[in-house]
Amino acid sequence: MKQTIVGIVLYILLWVPPIIALVESIMILHMLVQIPLLMVAGWLMGKCLLERYPSFFEKWNGNGIPGILIVVFMTMYWMLPRAMDEALTIWYIELFKFVGLPLAGLALRHSWEKLQMLGKSFVFLNYISMFGLMGWLYVDSPIQLCNNYLELEQKILGWGFLFITVGMIIHIVQLTFMDHSEEIG
Amino acid sequence: MATTHKYMPLKSRDDKVVTQMIISGAVVIVGMIFGVLMLAAQGGLIELSAAGFYQFLTIHGTAMIGSAALAASAIMWYFLSHYVELSKKVFNLNLILFLTGVVMTIIGIFSFEYASAWTFLYPLPALSAGAWGTTGALLYLGGMLILGVGFLLLYIDTGRAIIKKYGSLGKGLGWDVIAGKKAEKDAPPATVVASTMVTIVNISALTAGATVLIVNMISVINPAFTFNPLLAKNLTYAFGHIFANATIYMAVIAVYEILARYTGRPWKANKPFLIAWTMSTLFTMIVYPHHLLMDSAMPKWILILGQILSYANGLPVLIITAYGALMIVYKSGIKWDMGSSLIFLSMFGWTAGVVPALVDSAIVVNHVMHNTKWVPGHFHMYMGLGVIAMMFGFMYFLAKNDSQLKTNGLDKFAFVLYALSMFGVCVSFLVSGAISTPRRFATHIPEWMGPAQVGAISGIFVVIGITIFVLHFVRYIFGRNKKSISSETKQVKVI
Repeated sequence: MKQTIVGIVLYILLWVPPIIALVESIMILHMLVQIPLLMVAGWLMGKCLLERYPSFFEKWNGNGIPGILIVVFMTMYWMLPRAMDEALTIWYIELFKFVGLPLAGLALRHSWEKLQMLGKSFVFLNYISMFGLMGWLYVDSPIQLCNNYLELEQKILGWGFLFITVGMIIHIVQLTFMDHSEEIG
Repeated sequence: MATTHKYMPLKSRDDKVVTQMIISGAVVIVGMIFGVLMLAAQGGLIELSAAGFYQFLTIHGTAMIGSAALAASAIMWYFLSHYVELSKKVFNLNLILFLTGVVMTIIGIFSFEYASAWTFLYPLPALSAGAWGTTGALLYLGGMLILGVGFLLLYIDTGRAIIKKYGSLGKGLGWDVIAGKKAEKDAPPATVVASTMVTIVNISALTAGATVLIVNMISVINPAFTFNPLLAKNLTYAFGHIFANATIYMAVIAVYEILARYTGRPWKANKPFLIAWTMSTLFTMIVYPHHLLMDSAMPKWILILGQILSYANGLPVLIITAYGALMIVYKSGIKWDMGSSLIFLSMFGWTAGVVPALVDSAIVVNHVMHNTKWVPGHFHMYMGLGVIAMMFGFMYFLAKNDSQLKTNGLDKFAFVLYALSMFGVCVSFLVSGAISTPRRFATHIPEWMGPAQVGAISGIFVVIGITIFVLHFVRYIFGRNKKSISSETKQVKVI
């Protein structure tokens, strides 16, 4: 229950107009803070739902693949420069962001428990190349990609993506080279 | 079982591996035919349009690297599955994705005239000067991406299984033995060490490859999106070099397992062996700049590093393996047959094939030789007499191990024919390089045609030799099926 309350509080905070105005005015905060936090809020709030309706989730997301596909498509969409632009100018896209991303967070929570090591590793490695690509795209683009954000801001966002990519690579290297003998035994 | 000594008994009737090997064998033949046609066109023996030549170049590279990787991964999977628990579903899924990717690339090349070579160097897929369109490029790049997804899943599974059994990838490489925490007798088997190395380097390569493939796809769809071409080239070769290079590190498992069984002398993973494989793990991932020695915009220190590490990369595992192969065979009383002969020949192909590469990785030589046919001379020897010999050596071993099928004079003839004619192909390329014949040129001036003609004729003999190898494997498959049908009938009668 504690997690659900934290999730609801976080979600309400993200709805507060001055906070929306602040995070959406800076490109890197919009992409790498607000969007992930909306998913985190969904993840946290989802605990209660997963416990209350286990048979529903079992029926629709038994092996975790449908849920993770929702997450992948949702995150791919929100990584596009155009999606961020439209969220700022079209109200129903903004609403879609605030409703859809928490649902993706919920789907991620349920799927991550269901996915086997192979699926988890595959998704993780895919995000390494996806984040690396987005970082490269935003840093290297010779043109302004969003109407609402300056070229300099997209470069900062690109470096943010690359920073996360490097962090993910370090994480997977330490995970695979760390001794798991005791866990196995 | 024909030749088992101190090693654990091998699984028989592994249909998945057999299927993958026969598909690889068939693709090798088709790929080689395209190679022969290109050499014949360069030698002026047949007429081939420039567009056709570059389509053949693209399918030849894709087919040869793809089939070598598919066969080598089957060899790795077959032997590794005796030490760790691998997923059969993932193995089969890789084959399905491979075939899907191959069909997409074939349609892209022959229906939509895509022809950027298998290296798909950015921004060429998007800048065809009207030679091909968006659909062809997307089909080819998408096909390669799907192919990569299959291999990525396969290596994630091998990594998972190795970590599950040995605790970590470091332990799979025997780092605890190198550090003295464990005795040499408890070191992981050579197969596990090699598989760990390949898992590490190929997951890195495929992740880099996926990034650069999608970059190319974005630029094909909307050329207004531009990327740093030098970074794209770095990523392309980080993928291409590692992936192609890793085929021999997978196939060499056949050397470790098969020669040891033939001689009755186990291949020991001692400290020098483990250190060599760790060095190769690191070096294989960082030597690719030797493909960029002519790019003046590259930082000089990276190029110097590329040269030095190229010398360092090939040698540790090669020396350890070649020396080990000689020692294991020496006074062992080995009975030579097709399997052992091809495996032993592969050591020559690997060793000799590395020499022109080492010569070319010197920056001063590279500036003169890299865009000549000297480089195809290197990789045709390395792949054609190395990986391919290991592949068919394994196929003969499997047929002998798993059935009563005997080899005959035709097989021996095919061995000699293949060895000599493949060597002829390689030498024809090296001679072409030595007389400054540029590579990737659809047409040659008369002074360049002689070696190309020799290469084309040698290539025809190679195709004949390889076809005989494949036919032997087909005979084994049919023999096995007949045997299994008769045993099933017997069972029914008993019941």
